Amino acid sequence: MSSEAVEAVDVAHAGRWPKETIVSLAAFVVLWQLASMVLPPFVAPSWARIGKSLADIATRPEFIAITVARVGVALVVSFLLGIAVAMAMYRWDAVERYLMPLVKLLMAVPVLCWILFAVLWFKFREVRIAFILVVVCAPIFVIDVLDGMRGVSKDLRDMVRALRPTARQFFWKLVLPGTVPAILTSWKVNLSLSIRVVTMAELVGATSGIGYALMQANETFSVADVFAWTVVLVLILMAAQIAVTWVERRLLVWRE
Amino acid sequence: MSAPALDASPDIHVRGLRKIYRQKGSGAAVVAIARLDFSIRRGEIVAIVGKTGCGKSTFFNILIGLEPPTDGLIDIGGLTPYGDFDRFRGHIGIIFQQDRLLPWRSLMDNVTLGLEIMGLDPGEQRARAERWLHRLGLDGFLRAFPNELSGGMRQRAALARAFAVNPEILLADEAFGHLDEVTARQIRGQFFDMVRDEGKTAILVTHQLEEAIDTADRLLVFGKPATVLADLRLRAWPPGELPSLRARIQSTIQNNEPDPELGRPQEISR
Repeated sequence: MSSEAVEAVDVAHAGRWPKETIVSLAAFVVLWQLASMVLPPFVAPSWARIGKSLADIATRPEFIAITVARVGVALVVSFLLGIAVAMAMYRWDAVERYLMPLVKLLMAVPVLCWILFAVLWFKFREVRIAFILVVVCAPIFVIDVLDGMRGVSKDLRDMVRALRPTARQFFWKLVLPGTVPAILTSWKVNLSLSIRVVTMAELVGATSGIGYALMQANETFSVADVFAWTVVLVLILMAAQIAVTWVERRLLVWRE
Repeated sequence: MSAPALDASPDIHVRGLRKIYRQKGSGAAVVAIARLDFSIRRGEIVAIVGKTGCGKSTFFNILIGLEPPTDGLIDIGGLTPYGDFDRFRGHIGIIFQQDRLLPWRSLMDNVTLGLEIMGLDPGEQRARAERWLHRLGLDGFLRAFPNELSGGMRQRAALARAFAVNPEILLADEAFGHLDEVTARQIRGQFFDMVRDEGKTAILVTHQLEEAIDTADRLLVFGKPATVLADLRLRAWPPGELPSLRARIQSTIQNNEPDPELGRPQEISR
Protein backbone atom coordinates (compact mmCIF):
# COMPACT_ATOMS: atom_id res chain seq x y z
CA MET A 1 0.00 0.00 0.00
CA SER A 2 1.40 3.43 -0.93
CA SER A 3 1.97 6.05 1.74
CA GLU A 4 -0.84 8.16 0.20
CA ALA A 5 -3.20 5.19 0.50
CA VAL A 6 -2.21 4.64 4.10
CA GLU A 7 -2.82 8.32 4.78
CA ALA A 8 -6.27 8.13 3.16
CA VAL A 9 -7.22 5.14 5.30
CA ASP A 10 -5.97 6.97 8.38
CA VAL A 11 -8.09 10.01 7.53
CA ALA A 12 -11.13 7.76 7.11
CA HIS A 13 -10.42 6.13 10.45
CA ALA A 14 -10.00 9.53 12.05
CA GLY A 15 -13.74 10.03 11.59
CA ARG A 16 -13.95 12.03 8.36
CA TRP A 17 -16.22 10.74 5.61
CA PRO A 18 -14.46 9.13 2.69
CA LYS A 19 -14.98 10.63 -0.76
CA GLU A 20 -17.27 7.81 -1.91
CA THR A 21 -19.74 8.43 0.94
CA ILE A 22 -19.99 12.13 0.12
CA VAL A 23 -20.47 11.38 -3.60
CA SER A 24 -23.24 8.82 -3.02
CA LEU A 25 -25.08 11.06 -0.52
CA ALA A 26 -24.83 14.06 -2.86
CA ALA A 27 -26.17 11.93 -5.73
CA PHE A 28 -29.13 10.89 -3.58
CA VAL A 29 -29.90 14.53 -2.67
CA VAL A 30 -29.79 15.60 -6.32
CA LEU A 31 -31.91 12.67 -7.56
CA TRP A 32 -34.51 13.29 -4.85
CA GLN A 33 -34.71 16.96 -5.81
CA LEU A 34 -35.16 15.98 -9.49
CA ALA A 35 -37.86 13.48 -8.49
CA SER A 36 -39.65 16.18 -6.48
CA MET A 37 -39.88 18.29 -9.66
CA VAL A 38 -41.77 15.65 -11.64
CA LEU A 39 -43.70 13.78 -8.91
CA PRO A 40 -46.54 15.17 -6.73
CA PRO A 41 -45.50 16.55 -3.27
CA PHE A 42 -47.21 13.69 -1.36
CA VAL A 43 -44.89 11.21 -3.11
CA ALA A 44 -41.59 13.13 -3.19
CA PRO A 45 -41.57 16.46 -1.37
CA SER A 46 -38.82 18.89 -2.28
CA TRP A 47 -35.90 19.56 0.02
CA ALA A 48 -37.38 23.00 0.69
CA ARG A 49 -40.57 21.38 2.08
CA ILE A 50 -38.57 18.87 4.10
CA GLY A 51 -36.42 21.71 5.44
CA LYS A 52 -39.55 23.57 6.51
CA SER A 53 -40.76 20.45 8.35
CA LEU A 54 -37.40 20.13 10.06
CA ALA A 55 -37.61 23.77 11.12
CA ASP A 56 -41.07 23.08 12.58
CA ILE A 57 -39.70 20.09 14.48
CA ALA A 58 -36.88 22.23 15.83
CA THR A 59 -39.41 24.60 17.41
CA ARG A 60 -41.00 21.76 19.42
CA PRO A 61 -38.19 19.40 20.36
CA GLU A 62 -40.11 17.82 23.27
CA PHE A 63 -41.18 14.82 21.15
CA ILE A 64 -37.52 14.10 20.41
CA ALA A 65 -36.64 14.43 24.10
CA ILE A 66 -39.48 12.09 25.09
CA THR A 67 -38.42 9.38 22.64
CA VAL A 68 -34.75 9.70 23.59
CA ALA A 69 -35.67 9.49 27.29
CA ARG A 70 -37.79 6.38 26.70
CA VAL A 71 -34.95 4.70 24.83
CA GLY A 72 -32.36 5.78 27.39
CA VAL A 73 -34.28 4.54 30.42
CA ALA A 74 -35.27 1.27 28.72
CA LEU A 75 -31.71 0.58 27.59
CA VAL A 76 -30.28 1.19 31.06
CA VAL A 77 -32.93 -1.10 32.61
CA SER A 78 -32.31 -3.73 29.89
CA PHE A 79 -28.57 -3.55 30.44
CA LEU A 80 -28.79 -3.89 34.22
CA LEU A 81 -31.25 -6.75 33.88
CA GLY A 82 -29.17 -8.37 31.14
CA ILE A 83 -25.89 -8.17 33.03
CA ALA A 84 -27.52 -9.48 36.24
CA VAL A 85 -29.01 -12.49 34.44
CA ALA A 86 -25.75 -13.11 32.55
CA MET A 87 -23.78 -12.99 35.82
CA ALA A 88 -26.18 -15.47 37.43
CA MET A 89 -25.91 -17.77 34.40
CA TYR A 90 -22.13 -17.48 34.47
CA ARG A 91 -22.00 -18.26 38.17
CA TRP A 92 -24.56 -21.08 38.30
CA ASP A 93 -24.94 -23.57 35.46
CA ALA A 94 -28.44 -24.46 36.62
CA VAL A 95 -29.59 -20.87 36.12
CA GLU A 96 -28.35 -21.01 32.54
CA ARG A 97 -29.97 -24.39 31.90
CA TYR A 98 -33.36 -23.14 33.11
CA LEU A 99 -33.29 -19.55 31.85
CA MET A 100 -31.50 -19.79 28.50
CA PRO A 101 -34.41 -21.57 26.73
CA LEU A 102 -36.70 -18.77 27.90
CA VAL A 103 -34.28 -16.07 26.76
CA LYS A 104 -34.09 -17.70 23.33
CA LEU A 105 -37.89 -17.95 23.27
CA LEU A 106 -38.17 -14.21 23.99
CA MET A 107 -35.77 -13.46 21.14
CA ALA A 108 -37.83 -15.54 18.70
CA VAL A 109 -41.04 -13.53 19.25
CA PRO A 110 -41.53 -10.80 16.58
CA VAL A 111 -41.59 -7.20 17.81
CA LEU A 112 -45.11 -6.73 16.45
CA CYS A 113 -46.39 -9.52 18.73
CA TRP A 114 -44.78 -7.82 21.75
CA ILE A 115 -46.52 -4.57 20.80
CA LEU A 116 -49.88 -6.35 20.67
CA PHE A 117 -49.22 -8.18 23.96
CA ALA A 118 -48.21 -4.88 25.60
CA VAL A 119 -51.48 -3.27 24.53
CA LEU A 120 -53.42 -6.27 25.89
CA TRP A 121 -51.51 -6.62 29.15
CA PHE A 122 -50.69 -3.08 30.31
CA LYS A 123 -52.92 -0.11 30.88
CA PHE A 124 -50.33 2.67 31.13
CA ARG A 125 -48.70 3.83 27.92
CA GLU A 126 -45.24 4.37 29.34
CA VAL A 127 -45.27 0.86 30.85
CA ARG A 128 -46.26 -0.59 27.49
CA ILE A 129 -43.41 1.15 25.67
CA ALA A 130 -40.87 0.30 28.37
CA PHE A 131 -42.02 -3.33 28.38
CA ILE A 132 -41.65 -3.65 24.61
CA LEU A 133 -38.16 -2.13 24.62
CA VAL A 134 -36.90 -4.14 27.59
CA VAL A 135 -38.28 -7.46 26.36
CA VAL A 136 -36.57 -6.92 22.99
CA CYS A 137 -33.23 -5.50 24.22
CA ALA A 138 -32.53 -7.33 27.52
CA PRO A 139 -32.19 -10.83 25.97
CA ILE A 140 -29.59 -9.47 23.53
CA PHE A 141 -27.60 -8.04 26.44
CA VAL A 142 -27.87 -11.41 28.25
CA ILE A 143 -26.53 -13.39 25.30
CA ASP A 144 -23.75 -10.93 24.41
CA VAL A 145 -22.55 -10.38 27.98
CA LEU A 146 -22.57 -14.10 28.76
CA ASP A 147 -20.64 -14.82 25.55
CA GLY A 148 -18.17 -12.10 26.50
CA MET A 149 -17.67 -13.56 29.98
CA ARG A 150 -17.16 -17.04 28.56
CA GLY A 151 -14.82 -15.64 25.92
CA VAL A 152 -12.15 -14.53 28.41
CA SER A 153 -9.19 -16.70 27.44
CA LYS A 154 -8.29 -19.83 29.41
CA ASP A 155 -4.67 -18.65 29.56
CA LEU A 156 -5.67 -15.47 31.37
CA ARG A 157 -8.09 -17.38 33.61
CA ASP A 158 -5.35 -19.83 34.64
CA MET A 159 -2.89 -17.00 35.25
CA VAL A 160 -5.29 -15.10 37.51
CA ARG A 161 -6.52 -18.27 39.26
CA ALA A 162 -2.92 -19.18 40.06
CA LEU A 163 -2.69 -15.91 42.02
CA ARG A 164 -5.46 -17.30 44.27
CA PRO A 165 -8.09 -14.56 44.04
CA THR A 166 -11.44 -14.74 45.80
CA ALA A 167 -14.42 -15.35 43.50
CA ARG A 168 -15.26 -11.64 43.77
CA GLN A 169 -11.72 -10.58 42.87
CA PHE A 170 -11.68 -13.03 39.94
CA PHE A 171 -14.86 -11.46 38.58
CA TRP A 172 -13.95 -7.80 39.07
CA LYS A 173 -10.30 -8.04 38.07
CA LEU A 174 -10.60 -10.46 35.14
CA VAL A 175 -14.06 -11.44 33.94
CA LEU A 176 -15.77 -8.04 33.90
CA PRO A 177 -12.94 -6.02 32.34
CA GLY A 178 -12.46 -8.85 29.84
CA THR A 179 -16.14 -8.54 28.87
CA VAL A 180 -16.08 -4.77 28.19
CA PRO A 181 -15.56 -5.15 24.39
CA ALA A 182 -18.57 -7.49 24.17
CA ILE A 183 -20.67 -5.12 26.31
CA LEU A 184 -19.87 -2.16 24.05
CA THR A 185 -20.73 -4.15 20.92
CA SER A 186 -24.01 -5.14 22.53
CA TRP A 187 -24.77 -1.47 23.29
CA LYS A 188 -24.20 -0.57 19.64
CA VAL A 189 -26.56 -3.30 18.45
CA ASN A 190 -29.24 -2.42 21.00
CA LEU A 191 -29.03 1.32 20.33
CA SER A 192 -30.00 0.97 16.70
CA LEU A 193 -32.54 -1.74 17.50
CA SER A 194 -34.21 0.28 20.25
CA ILE A 195 -34.56 3.42 18.08
CA ARG A 196 -36.42 1.34 15.49
CA VAL A 197 -38.52 -0.51 18.06
CA VAL A 198 -39.49 2.58 20.07
CA THR A 199 -40.86 4.20 16.92
CA MET A 200 -43.08 1.17 16.29
CA ALA A 201 -44.18 1.06 19.92
CA GLU A 202 -45.06 4.77 19.85
CA LEU A 203 -47.03 4.31 16.63
CA VAL A 204 -49.49 2.10 18.48
CA GLY A 205 -49.48 2.98 22.10
CA ALA A 206 -48.41 6.59 22.60
CA THR A 207 -49.71 10.16 22.46
CA SER A 208 -46.25 11.67 22.29
CA GLY A 209 -42.84 10.93 20.85
CA ILE A 210 -41.43 10.55 17.36
CA GLY A 211 -43.48 7.43 16.53
CA TYR A 212 -46.68 9.28 17.40
CA ALA A 213 -45.58 12.27 15.29
CA LEU A 214 -44.84 9.90 12.39
CA MET A 215 -48.31 8.41 12.67
CA GLN A 216 -49.89 11.86 12.63
CA ALA A 217 -47.84 12.86 9.61
CA ASN A 218 -48.92 9.69 7.84
CA GLU A 219 -52.59 10.31 8.59
CA THR A 220 -52.36 13.82 7.11
CA PHE A 221 -50.38 12.55 4.07
CA SER A 222 -47.53 14.90 4.99
CA VAL A 223 -44.64 13.07 3.37
CA ALA A 224 -42.36 16.02 4.09
CA ASP A 225 -42.99 15.54 7.82
CA VAL A 226 -42.48 11.77 7.57
CA PHE A 227 -39.21 12.39 5.80
CA ALA A 228 -38.15 15.07 8.28
CA TRP A 229 -38.84 12.79 11.26
CA THR A 230 -36.92 10.01 9.53
CA VAL A 231 -33.97 12.36 9.18
CA VAL A 232 -34.26 13.16 12.90
CA LEU A 233 -34.27 9.43 13.79
CA VAL A 234 -31.19 8.81 11.68
CA LEU A 235 -29.43 11.77 13.30
CA ILE A 236 -30.32 10.51 16.79
CA LEU A 237 -28.94 7.09 15.95
CA MET A 238 -25.75 8.58 14.49
CA ALA A 239 -25.27 10.74 17.59
CA ALA A 240 -25.76 7.68 19.82
CA GLN A 241 -23.26 5.67 17.78
CA ILE A 242 -20.74 8.52 17.99
CA ALA A 243 -21.25 8.60 21.78
CA VAL A 244 -20.65 4.85 22.09
CA THR A 245 -17.60 5.07 19.85
CA TRP A 246 -16.27 7.85 22.09
CA VAL A 247 -16.82 5.70 25.19
CA GLU A 248 -15.24 2.74 23.36
CA ARG A 249 -12.13 4.76 22.54
CA ARG A 250 -11.75 5.74 26.18
CA LEU A 251 -12.40 2.29 27.62
CA LEU A 252 -10.53 0.31 24.98
CA VAL A 253 -7.55 2.63 24.66
CA TRP A 254 -5.35 -0.43 25.33
CA ARG A 255 -6.36 -1.92 21.96
CA GLU A 256 -5.13 0.99 19.83
CA MET B 1 -5.67 -30.24 63.26
CA SER B 2 -5.07 -27.25 61.01
CA ALA B 3 -2.23 -27.31 58.51
CA PRO B 4 0.85 -25.27 59.38
CA ALA B 5 1.21 -21.83 57.84
CA LEU B 6 3.47 -21.67 54.81
CA ASP B 7 5.74 -19.05 56.28
CA ALA B 8 9.25 -20.33 55.66
CA SER B 9 10.78 -21.58 52.40
CA PRO B 10 9.62 -25.17 52.47
CA ASP B 11 10.92 -28.27 50.77
CA ILE B 12 8.78 -29.74 48.03
CA HIS B 13 7.96 -33.45 48.21
CA VAL B 14 6.39 -35.27 45.28
CA ARG B 15 5.10 -38.66 46.44
CA GLY B 16 3.53 -41.38 44.30
CA LEU B 17 2.11 -38.76 41.95
CA ARG B 18 -0.04 -40.11 39.11
CA LYS B 19 -2.36 -38.42 36.67
CA ILE B 20 -4.75 -40.22 34.35
CA TYR B 21 -7.10 -38.35 32.03
CA ARG B 22 -10.27 -39.51 30.36
CA GLN B 23 -10.35 -38.52 26.72
CA LYS B 24 -13.36 -36.35 26.05
CA GLY B 25 -14.62 -38.16 22.96
CA SER B 26 -13.83 -41.85 23.52
CA GLY B 27 -13.57 -41.84 27.31
CA ALA B 28 -10.32 -43.81 26.98
CA ALA B 29 -7.83 -43.46 29.85
CA VAL B 30 -4.63 -41.55 29.03
CA VAL B 31 -1.73 -41.78 31.47
CA ALA B 32 -0.08 -38.34 31.63
CA ILE B 33 2.00 -39.03 34.75
CA ALA B 34 2.98 -42.67 35.36
CA ARG B 35 4.57 -42.08 38.75
CA LEU B 36 6.73 -39.35 40.22
CA ASP B 37 8.66 -39.53 43.51
CA PHE B 38 11.26 -36.92 44.30
CA SER B 39 11.97 -34.00 46.59
CA ILE B 40 13.32 -30.51 46.02
CA ARG B 41 15.16 -28.71 48.77
CA ARG B 42 14.58 -25.07 49.57
CA GLY B 43 16.80 -22.80 47.49
CA GLU B 44 17.37 -25.39 44.77
CA ILE B 45 17.05 -24.44 41.12
CA VAL B 46 15.66 -27.44 39.30
CA ALA B 47 15.01 -27.88 35.59
CA ILE B 48 12.63 -30.52 34.30
CA VAL B 49 13.19 -31.72 30.75
CA GLY B 50 11.45 -34.32 28.61
CA LYS B 51 9.83 -34.96 25.27
CA THR B 52 6.95 -32.80 24.13
CA GLY B 53 3.74 -34.26 25.56
CA CYS B 54 5.53 -36.20 28.29
CA GLY B 55 3.37 -34.74 31.06
CA LYS B 56 5.64 -31.85 32.09
CA SER B 57 2.88 -29.30 31.77
CA THR B 58 0.42 -31.59 33.56
CA PHE B 59 2.90 -31.83 36.41
CA PHE B 60 3.25 -28.04 36.31
CA ASN B 61 -0.52 -27.58 36.55
CA ILE B 62 -0.71 -29.94 39.53
CA LEU B 63 2.25 -28.17 41.11
CA ILE B 64 0.56 -24.76 40.87
CA GLY B 65 -2.71 -26.25 42.12
CA LEU B 66 -4.85 -25.85 39.00
CA GLU B 67 -5.44 -29.62 38.73
CA PRO B 68 -5.68 -32.41 41.30
CA PRO B 69 -3.54 -35.53 40.90
CA THR B 70 -5.27 -38.88 40.35
CA ASP B 71 -3.09 -40.48 43.06
CA GLY B 72 -0.30 -39.36 45.34
CA LEU B 73 0.41 -35.81 46.38
CA ILE B 74 2.67 -32.82 46.24
CA ASP B 75 3.52 -31.72 49.77
CA ILE B 76 4.86 -28.20 50.25
CA GLY B 77 5.40 -27.38 53.91
CA GLY B 78 2.62 -29.76 54.94
CA LEU B 79 0.14 -28.31 52.44
CA THR B 80 -1.01 -29.49 49.01
CA PRO B 81 -1.31 -26.90 46.23
CA TYR B 82 -4.74 -28.14 45.09
CA GLY B 83 -6.30 -29.07 48.43
CA ASP B 84 -5.01 -26.00 50.27
CA PHE B 85 -5.31 -23.75 47.25
CA ASP B 86 -5.89 -20.43 49.00
CA ARG B 87 -3.12 -21.01 51.56
CA PHE B 88 -0.56 -20.59 48.78
CA ARG B 89 -1.67 -17.00 47.99
CA GLY B 90 1.53 -14.97 47.80
CA HIS B 91 3.78 -18.03 48.23
CA ILE B 92 4.13 -19.20 44.64
CA GLY B 93 5.23 -17.04 41.72
CA ILE B 94 4.46 -18.35 38.27
CA ILE B 95 5.86 -17.50 34.87
CA PHE B 96 3.96 -19.03 31.98
CA GLN B 97 4.98 -19.81 28.44
CA GLN B 98 3.36 -16.60 27.17
CA ASP B 99 3.46 -13.45 29.28
CA ARG B 100 -0.31 -13.59 29.96
CA LEU B 101 -0.43 -9.92 30.86
CA LEU B 102 -3.95 -8.49 31.10
CA PRO B 103 -4.15 -6.40 27.92
CA TRP B 104 -6.37 -3.71 29.49
CA ARG B 105 -3.96 -3.05 32.36
CA SER B 106 -0.78 -0.98 32.18
CA LEU B 107 2.51 -2.70 33.05
CA MET B 108 2.35 -1.18 36.52
CA ASP B 109 -1.21 -2.45 37.06
CA ASN B 110 -0.28 -5.88 35.74
CA VAL B 111 2.52 -6.14 38.27
CA THR B 112 0.29 -4.99 41.13
CA LEU B 113 -2.38 -7.61 40.26
CA GLY B 114 -1.06 -10.27 42.64
CA LEU B 115 -0.50 -7.64 45.33
CA GLU B 116 -4.10 -6.40 45.01
CA ILE B 117 -5.26 -9.99 45.44
CA MET B 118 -3.10 -10.27 48.56
CA GLY B 119 -4.78 -7.13 49.92
CA LEU B 120 -1.64 -4.98 50.27
CA ASP B 121 -2.22 -1.25 50.62
CA PRO B 122 -1.95 0.72 47.36
CA GLY B 123 1.24 2.53 48.37
CA GLU B 124 3.02 -0.74 49.08
CA GLN B 125 1.70 -2.20 45.82
CA ARG B 126 3.10 0.69 43.79
CA ALA B 127 6.44 0.67 45.62
CA ARG B 128 6.93 -3.06 45.04
CA ALA B 129 5.85 -2.89 41.41
CA GLU B 130 8.15 0.05 40.71
CA ARG B 131 11.06 -1.75 42.40
CA TRP B 132 10.72 -4.86 40.26
CA LEU B 133 9.96 -3.04 37.02
CA HIS B 134 13.04 -0.90 37.65
CA ARG B 135 15.15 -3.98 38.31
CA LEU B 136 13.99 -5.43 35.01
CA GLY B 137 14.75 -2.22 33.11
CA LEU B 138 11.15 -1.21 32.47
CA ASP B 139 11.12 2.15 34.33
CA GLY B 140 10.05 4.13 31.31
CA PHE B 141 7.06 1.91 30.59
CA LEU B 142 5.05 1.87 33.80
CA ARG B 143 1.95 3.33 32.09
CA ALA B 144 2.39 1.46 28.79
CA PHE B 145 -0.10 -1.20 27.76
CA PRO B 146 1.20 -4.66 26.86
CA ASN B 147 0.40 -4.32 23.14
CA GLU B 148 2.75 -1.34 22.94
CA LEU B 149 5.73 -3.46 23.97
CA SER B 150 7.94 -6.15 22.49
CA GLY B 151 7.60 -9.81 23.50
CA GLY B 152 10.78 -9.57 25.57
CA MET B 153 9.56 -6.53 27.49
CA ARG B 154 6.22 -8.20 28.15
CA GLN B 155 7.93 -11.32 29.47
CA ARG B 156 10.10 -9.17 31.73
CA ALA B 157 6.92 -7.58 33.09
CA ALA B 158 5.59 -11.11 33.70
CA LEU B 159 8.77 -11.82 35.71
CA ALA B 160 8.16 -8.63 37.71
CA ARG B 161 4.59 -9.76 38.40
CA ALA B 162 5.84 -13.13 39.69
CA PHE B 163 8.63 -11.70 41.87
CA ALA B 164 6.59 -8.78 43.23
CA VAL B 165 4.49 -11.04 45.48
CA ASN B 166 7.78 -12.14 47.09
CA PRO B 167 7.02 -15.86 46.80
CA GLU B 168 9.18 -18.58 48.33
CA ILE B 169 8.85 -20.73 45.22
CA LEU B 170 9.06 -19.69 41.58
CA LEU B 171 7.70 -21.92 38.85
CA ALA B 172 8.36 -21.33 35.16
CA ASP B 173 6.72 -23.30 32.33
CA GLU B 174 8.64 -22.96 29.04
CA ALA B 175 8.94 -19.32 30.05
CA PHE B 176 11.56 -18.27 27.51
CA GLY B 177 10.94 -20.70 24.66
CA HIS B 178 8.86 -18.33 22.53
CA LEU B 179 11.45 -15.55 22.50
CA ASP B 180 14.30 -15.13 20.05
CA GLU B 181 17.54 -16.65 21.32
CA VAL B 182 19.29 -13.37 22.19
CA THR B 183 16.30 -12.03 24.13
CA ALA B 184 15.65 -15.41 25.76
CA ARG B 185 19.25 -15.65 26.94
CA GLN B 186 19.13 -12.15 28.40
CA ILE B 187 15.81 -12.59 30.24
CA ARG B 188 16.71 -16.09 31.40
CA GLY B 189 19.91 -14.64 32.87
CA GLN B 190 17.92 -11.94 34.69
CA PHE B 191 15.49 -14.56 35.99
CA PHE B 192 18.16 -16.82 37.47
CA ASP B 193 20.15 -13.88 38.87
CA MET B 194 17.04 -12.73 40.72
CA VAL B 195 16.22 -16.27 41.90
CA ARG B 196 19.74 -16.68 43.32
CA ASP B 197 19.92 -13.17 44.78
CA GLU B 198 16.61 -13.64 46.57
CA GLY B 199 17.37 -17.23 47.64
CA LYS B 200 14.22 -18.61 46.06
CA THR B 201 13.41 -22.20 45.17
CA ALA B 202 12.83 -22.39 41.41
CA ILE B 203 11.45 -25.09 39.15
CA LEU B 204 11.82 -24.57 35.43
CA VAL B 205 9.92 -26.81 33.03
CA THR B 206 11.51 -26.72 29.59
CA HIS B 207 11.99 -28.78 26.45
CA GLN B 208 15.32 -27.05 25.82
CA LEU B 209 18.12 -29.16 27.22
CA GLU B 210 20.75 -26.47 26.63
CA GLU B 211 18.76 -23.98 28.68
CA ALA B 212 18.34 -26.50 31.48
CA ILE B 213 22.02 -27.47 31.66
CA ASP B 214 23.19 -23.85 31.43
CA THR B 215 21.03 -22.54 34.22
CA ALA B 216 19.87 -25.14 36.75
CA ASP B 217 21.59 -26.71 39.74
CA ARG B 218 19.76 -29.93 39.18
CA LEU B 219 18.11 -31.65 36.24
CA LEU B 220 15.14 -34.01 36.33
CA VAL B 221 14.74 -35.98 33.11
CA PHE B 222 11.14 -37.06 32.55
CA GLY B 223 10.12 -40.07 30.50
CA LYS B 224 6.86 -40.37 28.60
CA PRO B 225 4.41 -40.76 30.33
CA ALA B 226 6.01 -38.75 33.11
CA THR B 227 8.36 -40.64 35.39
CA VAL B 228 11.88 -39.68 36.48
CA LEU B 229 14.43 -41.30 34.12
CA ALA B 230 17.39 -39.48 35.66
CA ASP B 231 18.07 -36.97 38.41
CA LEU B 232 21.35 -35.10 38.00
CA ARG B 233 23.27 -32.71 40.22
CA LEU B 234 24.57 -30.57 37.38
CA ARG B 235 27.09 -28.64 39.44
CA ALA B 236 28.80 -31.94 40.34
CA TRP B 237 29.74 -32.50 36.69
CA PRO B 238 33.02 -31.02 35.43
CA PRO B 239 32.26 -28.42 32.73
CA GLY B 240 34.41 -30.35 30.25
CA GLU B 241 32.09 -33.35 30.45
CA LEU B 242 28.91 -31.36 29.79
CA PRO B 243 28.87 -32.01 25.99
CA SER B 244 28.99 -35.78 26.52
CA LEU B 245 26.47 -35.46 29.32
CA ARG B 246 24.14 -33.59 26.97
CA ALA B 247 24.35 -36.38 24.40
CA ARG B 248 23.69 -38.98 27.06
CA ILE B 249 20.63 -37.15 28.40
CA GLN B 250 19.32 -36.82 24.86
CA SER B 251 19.65 -40.54 24.29
CA THR B 252 17.98 -41.22 27.67
CA ILE B 253 15.02 -39.08 26.62
CA GLN B 254 14.96 -40.72 23.18
CA ASN B 255 15.10 -44.29 24.53
CA ASN B 256 12.63 -43.48 27.29
CA GLU B 257 14.58 -45.77 29.66
CA PRO B 258 15.87 -44.86 33.15
CA ASP B 259 19.59 -44.16 33.41
CA PRO B 260 20.51 -44.70 37.08
CA GLU B 261 24.14 -43.90 36.40
CA LEU B 262 23.16 -40.33 35.57
CA GLY B 263 21.50 -40.09 38.97
CA ARG B 264 18.63 -41.70 40.87
CA PRO B 265 15.58 -39.77 42.02
CA GLN B 266 16.41 -38.04 45.26
CA GLU B 267 14.03 -38.05 48.16
CA ILE B 268 14.64 -36.33 51.42
CA SER B 269 12.77 -37.02 54.58
CA ARG B 270 10.57 -34.27 55.96
